[in-house]
Amino acid sequence: MKLKKEIKFFINDREVIAKSGETILNVARREGFYIPTMCYLEKVNPIASCRLCLVDVEGSKGSILSCQTKPTEGIKVRTDSEYLYKHRQNIMKLYDVNHPLECGVCDKSGACELQNKTLEFGINCQDFSIREPHRQIENWGKIQYDPSLCILCERCVSTCNQAIGDDAIELKFGGYGSAIVLKDKTSQTLECSTCGECIAVCPVGALISTDFKYSSNAWELNKVPSVCTHCSAGCEIDYEIKHSSTLNHDAKIYRVTNNFENSSICGAGRFGFNFANVPNDEQNAKNLKNKKFDEVVNAVKKANTIIFNSHITNEEAFILQKLKEKLKLKLVNHEAYNLQKFLGAFSRSSGETLPNGKIEDVENADQIVVVGSRIIVENPQVRYAMTRAYKKNRAFISYMHPVYEPLLNNIVKQHIRYEVGTEEGVVALLSEALIGQVLKFDLDVGYVSGETNVGEEELARIYQIGKKSKKRILIVGSDIIAHEKRENIARFLGVMQKFSNIKILVVPEELNSFGVAKICQLDEKATGKTVGYNITGDYIISALKDIGHFSVPALNQQEGTIIDINHKVKKLNVAVSFNGQSLNDIANEIFDPIDCREYTIDRTRDIFNVDFDSLENIQIDSQEIEIDCTEMPNEISKLPTFDGTLVYNSRTYLEFNPFSAFDKNGKFNYENNLLIGSEQFATAGKIADGDEVEFEILGEKFKRKFKIDKDMRGVIALNPIFDKNLKAYQLSSSYKFQKVKIVKVAK
Amino acid sequence: MGTKVYFSSWRGEKIDNRGKLQENWSESTFNFPVNYSASGNATAFVGWEGVAIFRDDVDVVRLATEYASQYQKYSEACGRCAPGRWGGRILYDLFDKIARGEGELSDLSHLKEVSETMMETSKCEIGKTVPVPLLVLMKEFEEEFVQLINNRKKSKDYDNNINYNALVTAPCTDACPAHVDIPAYIEGVRDFRFDDSLEATRQTMPLAHTCGRVCPHPCETACRRANIDEPIAIMELKRIGADYETDHNLDFIHPIEQKPKNGKKVAVIGGGPAGLTGAYYLALDGIEVDLFEALPVLGGEVAVGVPEYRMPIDKYNKDIDLVKSVGVNIYLNSWIDADKMREFEKNYDAILVATGTRISKKVDCANERPEIQGYWGAIDFLDKINLYEKYGYKLTQEDRVKYNINNDYVDLTGKTIACVGGGFTSMDVVRCSIRAGAKKVIMLYRRDEATIIKNTTYEEYHEAVEEGVEFIFYSAVEKMIDENDILKQLHINKFEMQNDPSGGRPKLVKIHGGDFMLDVDYLIPAVSQSADLSLLPPEWNIELTSWKTIKTNGRDYMTSKRGVFAAGDAEYGPMTIVNAVGQAKRASSVISRYVHSGEIILTDNEIMEDHIRKLGVYNKKEKIFGWLADKNRSESEKLAVDERKYNNLEVNLGFTAEQAISEAERCMRCYYISMVAR
Repeated sequence: MKLKKEIKFFINDREVIAKSGETILNVARREGFYIPTMCYLEKVNPIASCRLCLVDVEGSKGSILSCQTKPTEGIKVRTDSEYLYKHRQNIMKLYDVNHPLECGVCDKSGACELQNKTLEFGINCQDFSIREPHRQIENWGKIQYDPSLCILCERCVSTCNQAIGDDAIELKFGGYGSAIVLKDKTSQTLECSTCGECIAVCPVGALISTDFKYSSNAWELNKVPSVCTHCSAGCEIDYEIKHSSTLNHDAKIYRVTNNFENSSICGAGRFGFNFANVPNDEQNAKNLKNKKFDEVVNAVKKANTIIFNSHITNEEAFILQKLKEKLKLKLVNHEAYNLQKFLGAFSRSSGETLPNGKIEDVENADQIVVVGSRIIVENPQVRYAMTRAYKKNRAFISYMHPVYEPLLNNIVKQHIRYEVGTEEGVVALLSEALIGQVLKFDLDVGYVSGETNVGEEELARIYQIGKKSKKRILIVGSDIIAHEKRENIARFLGVMQKFSNIKILVVPEELNSFGVAKICQLDEKATGKTVGYNITGDYIISALKDIGHFSVPALNQQEGTIIDINHKVKKLNVAVSFNGQSLNDIANEIFDPIDCREYTIDRTRDIFNVDFDSLENIQIDSQEIEIDCTEMPNEISKLPTFDGTLVYNSRTYLEFNPFSAFDKNGKFNYENNLLIGSEQFATAGKIADGDEVEFEILGEKFKRKFKIDKDMRGVIALNPIFDKNLKAYQLSSSYKFQKVKIVKVAK
Repeated sequence: MGTKVYFSSWRGEKIDNRGKLQENWSESTFNFPVNYSASGNATAFVGWEGVAIFRDDVDVVRLATEYASQYQKYSEACGRCAPGRWGGRILYDLFDKIARGEGELSDLSHLKEVSETMMETSKCEIGKTVPVPLLVLMKEFEEEFVQLINNRKKSKDYDNNINYNALVTAPCTDACPAHVDIPAYIEGVRDFRFDDSLEATRQTMPLAHTCGRVCPHPCETACRRANIDEPIAIMELKRIGADYETDHNLDFIHPIEQKPKNGKKVAVIGGGPAGLTGAYYLALDGIEVDLFEALPVLGGEVAVGVPEYRMPIDKYNKDIDLVKSVGVNIYLNSWIDADKMREFEKNYDAILVATGTRISKKVDCANERPEIQGYWGAIDFLDKINLYEKYGYKLTQEDRVKYNINNDYVDLTGKTIACVGGGFTSMDVVRCSIRAGAKKVIMLYRRDEATIIKNTTYEEYHEAVEEGVEFIFYSAVEKMIDENDILKQLHINKFEMQNDPSGGRPKLVKIHGGDFMLDVDYLIPAVSQSADLSLLPPEWNIELTSWKTIKTNGRDYMTSKRGVFAAGDAEYGPMTIVNAVGQAKRASSVISRYVHSGEIILTDNEIMEDHIRKLGVYNKKEKIFGWLADKNRSESEKLAVDERKYNNLEVNLGFTAEQAISEAERCMRCYYISMVAR
């Protein structure tokens, strides 16, 4: 394309330079010139519906749309004039015509872009009106749409399509009838991943959160910047807080918002914030308070093992490590242990401590392969990056997972459903396809292809695309980390990183898996008396409300750090106070004085050599390590087979873990949990839609209602596990595919 | 030509006959749709560049109100920007307020103010142009508006039943024989809504893969963007929707839900673009369709004529699969003769003849005898090549002898080929000959380089030159020279262009002493084709054109025999795919009504389409404002010459994501709305 590298031009007489691809508006914003907009959003292509951003160009009759016009050499742009002001004012008059005057009860009031622009352009009255048809408020579950408030800017539609990838809503064209409607005309309900980004980007109160509705004025809320804790992405969010009620002045989280202009968050992050813990009754009761504290300290002192999960901060992990050292106990975290083993083998093959892929690499890639992850819920941020890669670069995406993912259809060109359990074979075949030219693997492709059900034609396609692609990335998820052959798989991935330009992105299961794996020396198995920290044990210390023997603050109640999927250190802040003791308090009772710290975050310095308050932009870089010789993958022996009915212990769009499952009233939401499967699954399990069924996984009994999803395929059903409270962590740290015997419950 | 008007203002021309006797009215030079249809004449016409009023008793206030209302009702475009959406609504409401006798004088100034903002700031031309005729009416007929307001009176026709028929079109859509809603499919690309893009295309064009690759794109010569810099790469943007559907293995996206079977049956003769198109829309409409194809494969000339490197058959087959997916019954290897046609007349409710033009015309030289070995008609030559390349049909022993080929496919190793032509078919012949290994390939053309580019495309010509085709311009074959019926040489005349001193058209004049001999193994005539109409029973007396194609009126595509329709090259003569598609689409629409009512009816939309086509939409001289000239027309990546010369890989790799968006953003969405009152 004939795109020049840099273009010199003028805005309001000042010389400015546009880089390749930049529009007039981009440059103006970068250089601090104000151009009003209503529909513009950085994260999507210019929508060009509001027309406010028109500017004048000297010598050119007619105004130019600055949001989508790339400047040409030497043009002289004027961002404001009487003429432009008049037209912008007229546009605002048009926007305001018949806009309901219900700001008093509108959630958006005070943070409304229509309000702001109306004031900015001095529209004090409405000179004319139009007949207004009756418009019905639509209820889309978590999301409510009021068409009479809608200004049809199309931000929601563009975001849903281009930034998220759900493509669930669209604009219905045509005069009076124009509205945002569900794209799937056959459906009454909004079939999407319920990220709520449409709410976030709505400039007015047309799209609002049903949970938040009428609960607060925007200006009363205070923002507490923090990090979402539900998956390994570690998205930056704001908890918006104010007092709980007129009688209760304790702060409460009312909602979660994000910097929607250039980032997106998922539904679990947006709606699953109400997990603040309260000390249990005994901890609270005056005369029992100390007794309870003694009890927990003694439990830890007497324990042989502390079991925990990675839903904790680095500081908590550090304290647990110190406890291990002090008390000579075992420290067990299956999921992080598996990750350590995986990374160990990976580094012996790649010569580097960490995989080199980042989320940005996904966004910029032109070939993406996902293997062993139901990425849409395992890490929505990676999925959004995949969406952008497809939209921006038309990236060729191969999605390899035994569970078919219809919602990814519009970005994935190649769905490959491999046989459950054969991940080792799948990665071996991928290695052969992607770097077989460079490195010889001793692989019986015919056999492995047969056993994995990954066709040689499909691999040939991956190879062909790979040849043409310049930026390639392989994304591996928790099914790989939890797989018993994780180390051999890691070797394949390690040599891939070493001998090719393919980047490897590892998506771990929990928020801080990388942090725990870095900080703790973990043991393989628990022995003797156990204390469970956020997980079941003989004695349970829990951040999960109403669970366990001793309560500690949840992740929105403490300061601390985590390491995200990009190996970046991020900070959590206190949104809601916790009136009780923390792990640090318990540890201080046990540690030698030299190891005691007043506050948990005093330990940040022990870990990263920086005080918590001055910590910013810390990146854990991959280190090159000395290896005598590259550890090559072992030959693939027999691949396991899983026959019969299988379930996949999966998150749902909104429920990633027990902490995400509290509703707006703080109630744990575990009703109506469904086992969702295909028609084929129903036949194999001899069950029908609506049947009550029972089954058992790793000793845990499940009772579920079965629901057929016509878009699903194969004999694997999706089983949510978050409602098993802390026991869910035992399940999520194990291989998520399990063979089950489905028993229909007689009614 | 020209229209007698009471008042008109169009494209800068104003005719005002108010106050004159009707017999003294002067004419406008424009072809306004005054003779609307057999059912009656128009009283007024309103469009993007003004108005034309044909009688002195037209209620102009109601006319303005209705035009504003059509914008609300019909336009799919007016949901897309603030000024267009709300401005349009205010225009309608305020005009209606005046028309029903409730207006105020301030409404007129509001109308003018809103109009100005719409014209300056709207996203699409429809929002920018809807106020144009309204401002003309308000200015020229101000008295009528003011009177209604002052007297608080309803306009005289407010409650009367008047027909208003509107059409939304665009210069590109108008120029496209299939009237594809081009701005809509481009907007789909721009918005990353590739499914919507494809759906827009398929409203009138089922062959999205094909016409996204090999359409000669007459739309691009009517693209308003050319008035600023360069036309949009309209054709290439079309394949994006189709590629999306194919690459993601999606279910076929149909423009409407298929109607249930209604018991009517139609026979379609010919499985080329016209036949496929007709069959698709008829089947969507609930009609049982039997499609008969003489060749062993579907697709017609585009399948067996257009080479694989230009139109990969797996992509065309996707378009064909779309047609199959609506349940068309397909009969291959079915040559239809007059007896069969007589049978069909009894067994079907209608017949659509879409048999194309599959006889290569002679070059018209001395000794041009088909029995000479080495004389090989272009159609048959390309058939043989493509049936092998695309489907694996080998040459029969008989053909090998007849054409002197030493292989079971057309292998021209060591041979010299001369092709006489200048159109697309001849380009296909010479480029296929290169790929078939010919030693030397020569194109003989009577005119010059510029004309060959005009008749084909720059890309096509340029790519052929790159691949090594030798073009001899201003040349013609005088005589074929054979030895024992084997072609040896061609006697060539050379010509030059001489200006007519008296100012007439320049003439081709033979250069004396310019003759030369050319050693060749093959002469391939690719000058033109004619239709094989042996299937028409003589007693039907079907009228033919002077070109020996089937005659219709070019609007409803019925032949002189009731119930027998014709579309595509068999009707028009050798023309483009998109022409065949457009004709067949229209024919299928007419047939879908004919089979029920026995009547030949065009819809109002179709009537308007034809009128507006006559009036002309694209204005080459129009000055366009509000856009920066960027000369950034995207150029899709092509395979390099040595990567493509000896194989059949698709040469055009299509746009990258970035190019597609950047190209789509150049589109100015030149939707226009026009309306007839009657």
